[in-house]
Amino acid sequence: MQEEITKPRETLLDAEEMALNMGPQHPSTHGVLRVLLKLDGETVIDLDCDIGFLHRGVEKIAEQDTYAMITPYWDRLDYVAAVSGDLCYVEGVEKLLQVEVPRRAEYLRVILTELQRIASHLLWLGTHAIDIGAVTVLLYCFREREEILKIFEDFIGARLTAHAFRIGGLWWDVYPEFETRVRDFLKIIPDRITEYETLLNTNRIWLSRTVGIGVLPAEEAINLSLTGPVLRGSGVNYDVRKAQPYSAYADFDFEVPLGENGDTYDRYLIRMEEMRQSVRIIEQALDGLPEGPVMAKVPKVIKPPVGEIYHSIEAPKGELGVYLVSDGTGKPYRMRIRPPAYINLQSLKRMAIGHLVADVVAIIGTIDIVLGEVDR
Amino acid sequence: MPEILALLIAPDWVRSLTGERPPNVFWAEYIVWPLIQIVIVLFVVLTVVAYLVYFERKISAFIQARLGPMRVGPWGILQPAADGLKLLLKEDIIPIKADKLVFSIAPIISVVSTLVVLAVIPWGAAWATIANVNIGLLFVLAVSSVSVLGLVLAGWSSNSKYSLLGALRSSAQMVSYEVGMGLSIIGALIFARTLSLSGIVEAQRADGLPYFLFQPLGFLIYLISALGETNRAPFDLPEAESELVAGYHTEYSGFRWALFFMAEYTAMLVTSAVAVTVFLGGWYFPGLDWIKSNWGPNIYVLLSVAAFAGKIAVLIYAYMWFRWTWPRYRYDQLMELGWKWLIPAGLANVVLTGVWYVLALPEAQGGVFGFVKQTAGRYVPTGYGKIYFILTGFIITIPLSWALLATINRRSRDFNLHDQRQLQIKLRSERIKRNEPVAE
Amino acid sequence: MAAVTTTGQKRSIGQIIKRLLLLDLIEGLFLTFKYNVRALYEPRDGGNPNQAIYTEQYPLERPRVSERFRGAPRLNLDPENGSTLCIACDLCALACPVDCIEVGSIRREVRDGEKVNKKKVLTTFIFDTSRCMFCNLCSEACPTDCLELTQSFELAVYHRSGFRWDREMLEKGINYVRYTK
Repeated sequence: MQEEITKPRETLLDAEEMALNMGPQHPSTHGVLRVLLKLDGETVIDLDCDIGFLHRGVEKIAEQDTYAMITPYWDRLDYVAAVSGDLCYVEGVEKLLQVEVPRRAEYLRVILTELQRIASHLLWLGTHAIDIGAVTVLLYCFREREEILKIFEDFIGARLTAHAFRIGGLWWDVYPEFETRVRDFLKIIPDRITEYETLLNTNRIWLSRTVGIGVLPAEEAINLSLTGPVLRGSGVNYDVRKAQPYSAYADFDFEVPLGENGDTYDRYLIRMEEMRQSVRIIEQALDGLPEGPVMAKVPKVIKPPVGEIYHSIEAPKGELGVYLVSDGTGKPYRMRIRPPAYINLQSLKRMAIGHLVADVVAIIGTIDIVLGEVDR
Repeated sequence: MPEILALLIAPDWVRSLTGERPPNVFWAEYIVWPLIQIVIVLFVVLTVVAYLVYFERKISAFIQARLGPMRVGPWGILQPAADGLKLLLKEDIIPIKADKLVFSIAPIISVVSTLVVLAVIPWGAAWATIANVNIGLLFVLAVSSVSVLGLVLAGWSSNSKYSLLGALRSSAQMVSYEVGMGLSIIGALIFARTLSLSGIVEAQRADGLPYFLFQPLGFLIYLISALGETNRAPFDLPEAESELVAGYHTEYSGFRWALFFMAEYTAMLVTSAVAVTVFLGGWYFPGLDWIKSNWGPNIYVLLSVAAFAGKIAVLIYAYMWFRWTWPRYRYDQLMELGWKWLIPAGLANVVLTGVWYVLALPEAQGGVFGFVKQTAGRYVPTGYGKIYFILTGFIITIPLSWALLATINRRSRDFNLHDQRQLQIKLRSERIKRNEPVAE
Repeated sequence: MAAVTTTGQKRSIGQIIKRLLLLDLIEGLFLTFKYNVRALYEPRDGGNPNQAIYTEQYPLERPRVSERFRGAPRLNLDPENGSTLCIACDLCALACPVDCIEVGSIRREVRDGEKVNKKKVLTTFIFDTSRCMFCNLCSEACPTDCLELTQSFELAVYHRSGFRWDREMLEKGINYVRYTK
């Protein structure tokens, strides 16, 4: 495939097609993605993704670590949404162990993962906007994201690589000012989202850069097994939080925004709306936060019964799944990760061909990839 | 035009320096005073350019909830000096496969062509202008467009694909926006009836109003084209960092890179200076005549220079403000804006302004309303004439041109480039499958 | 399920007029200008999202680090007699996902009053901070509250060897250069 791209073919006007190496060191490939482009002028006529520059073999490492030791590795898959990764794995192991997690722990987990969803979407918005040239949005987004990270730091003890949850619940209970801090944040965030929208939503340059770019019909999105906002942008109503409610999500009332055209602009609108819905969920969870312990009775050495499970959650980027096989020992026999960004990245070729180089950047942004997760 | 030639008079102390008396003032007028002016202008402009970078960083920081440079000196005020020193001391890297000669010449072409323009800018009244060329505006447009050569050569000689793409973009962009820029000025020239930059300022002084009021559409087109011409956001495609890494100067480092930077900011200064001269009344502001008669000629000149600088500062702030607020256009959209909107709008503006002006002439000259009176060898709009030109500019010219272009461009929207490209790509892949050459 | 407003709909007259008057661009300009003006007069405490400037000037201004922060490791000493709390049980090394802890111990006879106990005694403790991912699993495994991740976060050193913290360093902590305004 790559040979096909790098090999020049003759075109009209005696010009050669140009192979352009975008990445792994490039400002807007969001990490170490290498995109091999074949250009005719500035039009992309062929494209291939080269991944694996950040491969660490997490799945293999997991086979040599105990169940508790694997959790921190999940922070490092999708490192801008570490808490969501933790939730997926921890709930998977709990399912394998058949442990009932206390209600309070589940509510706190929902609060933290929804905060993480807002933080992840804010980072996505900032980088997406900077890819399209609106630099200021990035700094505004980082300011609000910083507030979330401060809440995380006070609660969990780390800002980015959170290691937020333990198997069976949470290590820490809330700190005294937790609720006021979160409520303060919830008070400012809707206004701030409106601010970003003032800068982008109706801006004609933003519209011309996003509307009709990277259109993905619903059928193709399903065929590519996309999930998350990329799928919902095409109008497919699939959200794991609604489809197979996990944790305490069944208790909350929220809406799943859906797009119509399946273009970059719709996916942008959807993520903006998702942030608002997350705010709603957090508010409900704070209002109904039950009393009680935050840790279930879990043996010190975790040895799940022989069996296998698949558990998936709605991470900010899509359906994040874990497939665990236990052979009854303290270490998993096999752990398989379903990284949403990796699968969503497959749609890049479908979306980008026929557009210009500048659009490739916008489309990479709209898929919202994190290379830690793509390469694992 | 004696009153415009009189602009060139050097201050009295220069004449006493050379010991010449009017009318025999060759050395003072053409050698000594211009040299002093050149030294002053170059020194001031280059310092200002260095500080423009500082202000750009500060303004962007304040817009983005940051503080900007804070460490070098109080408020980071010495940052430009530190940056300059760093760039001078950096390793000078020329890529192995680059064309070394062209690679080193390119930034010089770029910076020289922008600096030469400074010679004809009317920095202030009387002795504050270096050269009053009677085709000053053409000179500015001609010389400043040479700087694109520097960018193209830089991109080509770097022997890097990103640089090449940047150079291609910049050549296409600057050539297209040059046209719109030239057309937008013509409307104002109809009122000024001269190409001399000092003459345009004098004309606005005589007409009593700056020309952006008579020429709102022209001013708007000029501002947009100037952004495109100087590669500023939202038209900074040649160096779009998210797509082309750094565009034409990807491979440049050290002082060569600094020269490009200098050229960019000097070009910004020059385009705003032209905008101020042509549309905002140049160095003139109401009350300046009173100051001249009451406070003496020297204070009058200094205040006029200050007024000019202030107007430029406002425009440059706007440049920076736009850059840090808006996203970036895509290459084809930029071309569309240039060719489908700015150039036709510029043409429409020229035609409509011409029509309004002819209608406003007295009946003896073939006009209808007689809003323009001939006084002291010039056509000056009367009080009603001013209101008439402002109203026609704002209420008729802009909506009419917009409606016209919107109707025309609505049709061209059906011409869907994306679908065409998709079709081409489909055909191409079919040919590859059949093992045929891609070209017909 | 809620459909977001997309561009499939036709523009209304109001939107067309907004576009003609460039209001879509001016709205954004107004917002950034507001921030620019606010930045000039508002106080700059740093880290306050309601102020126009958010910057904390880090080495001059110390960041607020939370109590639960997981930073540089420390071996706690018994506050009464100053001897180490570590019982060399090796649980931290076992819990560590990246094997960055090495506990060295010997069996030694320790006199406790009248009795003589054979006891494991800590000799060396090596903590490789370059491999550590600050997950807190070691600290959670520690039965005596000896190993703890503290609030100091400035772990940069000039040489790789500096990342290997020995027992003395773990008990004392590293010396920082403190900058002031």
